[in-house]
Amino acid sequence: MKKLFNDILSMEDVNGIMLFSFKGELVYKLFLSPLPEEPENKDWWGLFIRSLNGVREADLIFEKSKFYIKKTEIGYLIILMGIFVPTAMVRLNCDMLLPALKKIKISKKGKSIFKKK
Amino acid sequence: MIKKVLIVDDDQEMLLSLKEGFEKYNATFSVLMAGDGLVATEKLEKETISLVITDLRMPRMDGFALLSKIMEQYPDIPVIIMTGYSTPEMERLAQEGGAVGYVEKPFMIDDLANKVLTTLRKESEGGTLHSVSSGMFLQLIEMEQKTCTIRLLDATSGKEGVLFFCDGELFDARTAGLKGEAAAYKIFSWDEVSLSIQNECRQKERKVHRDINAILLEAMRLKDEAGEAEEPEVVEEEIEEIEELSEELEPETPDPLISIQTRLKEEVGERCGLEDIYQDNSWDGFMAQISRMGAFFGAGKLKLIYLDRSEPNDLILVPGYKTSILLVNSKCPRDRIITILSE
Repeated sequence: MKKLFNDILSMEDVNGIMLFSFKGELVYKLFLSPLPEEPENKDWWGLFIRSLNGVREADLIFEKSKFYIKKTEIGYLIILMGIFVPTAMVRLNCDMLLPALKKIKISKKGKSIFKKK
Repeated sequence: MIKKVLIVDDDQEMLLSLKEGFEKYNATFSVLMAGDGLVATEKLEKETISLVITDLRMPRMDGFALLSKIMEQYPDIPVIIMTGYSTPEMERLAQEGGAVGYVEKPFMIDDLANKVLTTLRKESEGGTLHSVSSGMFLQLIEMEQKTCTIRLLDATSGKEGVLFFCDGELFDARTAGLKGEAAAYKIFSWDEVSLSIQNECRQKERKVHRDINAILLEAMRLKDEAGEAEEPEVVEEEIEEIEELSEELEPETPDPLISIQTRLKEEVGERCGLEDIYQDNSWDGFMAQISRMGAFFGAGKLKLIYLDRSEPNDLILVPGYKTSILLVNSKCPRDRIITILSE
């Protein structure tokens, strides 16, 4: 799975990736620096993901960071990055990822992912 | 509960004369206006509309396309078609498309008003209730396994919402800007509502997959969280500073909408693709979710959100005293606009 995201993660100042199922379960995460708390400890992700209902992609701009959210066949992909990362490049990389993500299947419980043969 | 009727026509004179003609019915319904189907769909998204009257021939999105969109996304909203170019084929298509009425122009305004009143009456055929807690009442609906559409008005915020029940199960919910479970959480948190019951549910697709008790609990939890966020401890020495801040946030400050428009016009010009700009607090829940995620990652203050929802126009949400909503053409210079507005 990590290979899939190599191009994005190798971009300067991209800090991490999370992939959520549409039910809001965190199925994959990779952060380049440790977080003060594990995201799965928070129970509001489900609500957060459901609030994205109908959103194809989103840019969230904060004072110190920005997030790019992309709807995929299997859920929502969230890229965490610094404010100076060119989002257009991240978007492009995510578009290129989509066919590969189609081949991934999330287990019914949403806790693990498999590659379709 | 005063219902909202949306009239859609590209003929401004027709819109104004209908609005004027319907004024004597304002104890029953108020009138909203839209110049074409696209503007109408934006209003449907933001407002809780009870009935749509639409012309057929309009630019950008015609009446048939609007009818089809309403049947797909808001099947509970009845549509009356009005046209100056009627043919039997058009009338057949309108009926097959789901329209509840078809009137040929010219018509008597009172005849159309009667049709509107008759249709609106169905909304409350199952009765109305005032000053009840939405959660408690809705548990009863579940227990009685009712199939119905319930329209609610929150006495505190003045917000309106719709809930769809099929055999006692909550199928869908809608309140300004929110749909499905997110809307249900909002509606279930209302303490004092007026509601009307329609004994049918035209929403066939289930979009809420949790039972009422779970939704009620989550709604209460969210409400508590929001309450805590709204009531921070204030120490005396901070009061002055907060008062100054509130003064800054009062609407007397330069209108944020004008300031945004000016910046976009000056820095991007007509190419900025700005279609509409307005303030709307119905996005507050969504903004709170995003801010919470930002806080988790230590991202600092939220500056803006750009949303692509696969629609002709994208949305930009700018937080403030009231959330500013920019409707921009999806082909706008997105990154340029984001940079300008987040500076």
